[in-house]
Amino acid sequence: MQIRALTIIAVLAACGAQPVSAKTPAPANAEVYIIWPTDGTVIRGGKLWVRMGLRNAGVAPKDVEMANVGHHHLLLDTDLPPLDEIIPSDRNHLHFGGGQTEARIEDLAPGKHTLQLLLGDHEHRPHDPPLYSKKVTITVAP
Amino acid sequence: MMLRVALMLAVIGMYSGALSAGETPAPENAYLYIGWPNDGEVIHGGRPFRVWFGLRNMGVAPKGVDAPNTGHHHLLIDTDLPPMDAEIPSDRQHLHFGAGQTETMLELPPGTHTLQLLMGDANHVPNNPPVYSKKITITVK
Repeated sequence: MQIRALTIIAVLAACGAQPVSAKTPAPANAEVYIIWPTDGTVIRGGKLWVRMGLRNAGVAPKDVEMANVGHHHLLLDTDLPPLDEIIPSDRNHLHFGGGQTEARIEDLAPGKHTLQLLLGDHEHRPHDPPLYSKKVTITVAP
Repeated sequence: MMLRVALMLAVIGMYSGALSAGETPAPENAYLYIGWPNDGEVIHGGRPFRVWFGLRNMGVAPKGVDAPNTGHHHLLIDTDLPPMDAEIPSDRQHLHFGAGQTETMLELPPGTHTLQLLMGDANHVPNNPPVYSKKITITVK
């Protein structure tokens, strides 16, 4: 009985590890960063343009499979997702699959919020090495 | 007679105006600007400085990629806008960023210089309507 349970666990573990595809390589010196807002910025009214910065790599829309490119994902009030999976798409993980380099945010409630960028490849997966920015904290004033 | 000539010139003017753009559509509200340096900026020479490419309501795609509402950046240095219905020249005054770059490092000799951005489509032809930034003037000391 105990052996059977162990076997089941081993099989489950193997299945879980299975669907990992090769990651898209990124230039070692590539850097993603938030040009604006800077850490500690106070925003009045909760509407802003986030300017997304990328060095030593290029921007391409989703589905474009080329070397040294990716598209921006803005993480709002959340930590980095697992870096070996497709980046979630929800209110906390905004995708810019159109190749956008600025993000308009209009509905931030008063209070503190965090922003972080994570570059994704043509399939919305982080690169190897993953390219993400420092997480900045901003305050929305009413 | 004079009136007729004037009218003809006006019509020709309108016609060439309508022609002076490429064929790839761009959003009417696309907005291209130089994020840095600012107009009138004084820069210390002898080392490269960073130029930020700002783009709103439109996306970036590398050359050769035909995706809706995208283009790639071209930085015009010390020159006016090229013809809007032809491939953007590629030389020292027209820098192409066909790999989808959104910023660059630039080093210029001392003096006054102008910088302007112009989007080009998959084939380096300006969009319709053409998307270009204000031309700024900087001084390198």
